[in-house]
Amino acid sequence: MIEIKQLEIGYRSKRKQTSVFKGLQASFQSGNLIGLIGDNGVGKSTFLKTLSGFISPLKGSIFIQNKNIESFSFQQLATLISIVTTEKISGFNLTVYDVVAIGRTPYLSVFGKLTQNDTMIIDHSLKRLELLPLKDKLIDELSDGQRQKVMIAKSLAQQTPIILLDEPTAFLDYTSKHKLFEDLKTLCMEEQKLIIVSSHDIDLMQKYMTKALYLKENNSFEVI
Amino acid sequence: MKKSQFIFYLSLLSVLLGILTIADLVVGSVNVFSIKDNSQLVDTILYTIRLPKVITCVLAGSALALCGLLMQTLFRNPLAGPYALGVSSGASLFVAIATMLLTSIHISGLYFFGKSMITLFSMLGAFLVTLIILIISKKNKSSVTVLLVGIMLSQILGALQSLIEFMSNSNSLKTFVLWGMGSVSSTTLSDLLFIAPICAISITVTFFMVKSLNAILLNEDYAANLGITISMLRIKVILITAILVGVITAFCGPIAFVGISVPIASRLLFKTAHHTHQITFCLLLGACVMVFADLICQLLSAHIMLPINTVTTLIGSPVVLYLLFKSKLNIQ
Repeated sequence: MIEIKQLEIGYRSKRKQTSVFKGLQASFQSGNLIGLIGDNGVGKSTFLKTLSGFISPLKGSIFIQNKNIESFSFQQLATLISIVTTEKISGFNLTVYDVVAIGRTPYLSVFGKLTQNDTMIIDHSLKRLELLPLKDKLIDELSDGQRQKVMIAKSLAQQTPIILLDEPTAFLDYTSKHKLFEDLKTLCMEEQKLIIVSSHDIDLMQKYMTKALYLKENNSFEVI
Repeated sequence: MKKSQFIFYLSLLSVLLGILTIADLVVGSVNVFSIKDNSQLVDTILYTIRLPKVITCVLAGSALALCGLLMQTLFRNPLAGPYALGVSSGASLFVAIATMLLTSIHISGLYFFGKSMITLFSMLGAFLVTLIILIISKKNKSSVTVLLVGIMLSQILGALQSLIEFMSNSNSLKTFVLWGMGSVSSTTLSDLLFIAPICAISITVTFFMVKSLNAILLNEDYAANLGITISMLRIKVILITAILVGVITAFCGPIAFVGISVPIASRLLFKTAHHTHQITFCLLLGACVMVFADLICQLLSAHIMLPINTVTTLIGSPVVLYLLFKSKLNIQ
């Protein structure tokens, strides 16, 4: 599903490029829950940004379904990979339902009108994360854990085979963390998705992950 | 928002606009009902004087409200608006440059372009300011910072404008001051033949951007991940804002608080995030506010000549204050 070859990640500006991590080599198959672990600043977020196509690799390549990531357009990537970032969503009258509905964007016409099929998928995504009772609530009224679930439901509605989550457990309490990881695990199993999660909760990772990518200093890494 | 709800609010606003429009046609310094024996005079008053003015109000109100909505969505900042962020000041400054500086250094033929030259410069000024605000908002995401920069920018542009006023000769200064006072009543029917199509095209284009606008409500990263080309969306919003603010400012002078307060009021009144709904509501509500403001000017016209700008400020600024103090919307 994802094939990473001699990947160097980092940032490029006009004058120079800053390398964050070099020589990464790995491959992930669907139906797996992959943990991305490592200390702060080692390059986890950069790795996820590169995987989602926001920044291009400095060297090496990423293959998704045997095609180089750089040969996909933004629209094509939108149906392959969805992300849940650490940034909070707020305001503008957005309800839980609205946010999940926006997940259907890649499949909608320019007028953003939902078809019957779209509403079915949205309802299904809401149900999957037990958000149906909250669907008309404003996003501003939710707790951090609930917001996190809404964003995951958005990713589900986007119907991508790959889902990336950047530190989804950061604001969650103990029980919510376990609940979230259980949900992610069942998603992987039942819908054969590939989910990559970055987190600092090593205990949780050990319990739920099928595989883990451990990024260490000095460009060394381990696939566990 | 359910379809039935949308249609209900749509008809409500349309009826309100209808009533306000008729009221604005009837009310004025001359009572049209008291003229019994001269139907030609009534026609002149209604069709040559009041009708173009009412249509100008409708167009200006909806265009500015639309610009405000687009800017607020693009910057994800409920305090953005063409006047608050200095876009209108940019348009003013460039009109000042066109009417005073360029005429005083005698570029031949320029004077003949008249209104179209003013419009072009006004658009250019609006475009440049929007571009500057966009670049700053990319570097600093805080809503308050962007707003402060907008206020500073308005001040700087205003100062530059005074400088030009100070340096220019009395004739061109007169042209500019007349333009600056220029209200909704200075447009003629033939001007409207120019303004209306521009507004119509811009509004139509906006409806084709609904999906992208909805997606960017989350944030730019999410929108990009949903397949939206952010840079394209930005360019479209800047161009539409520049064109609409440019045209409206060129013909009516800078109008305050309609652009910022109408989208805020619309979101507070109509609980929907979807842009098909919000664009429609902002267009109608903007038109209503502007016609209402003109109506107040007309009602007071026997006693004082009130610039419409004063009235829009008095109506619009409480809405913004309300948002700042009372509402639960997050402003970071």
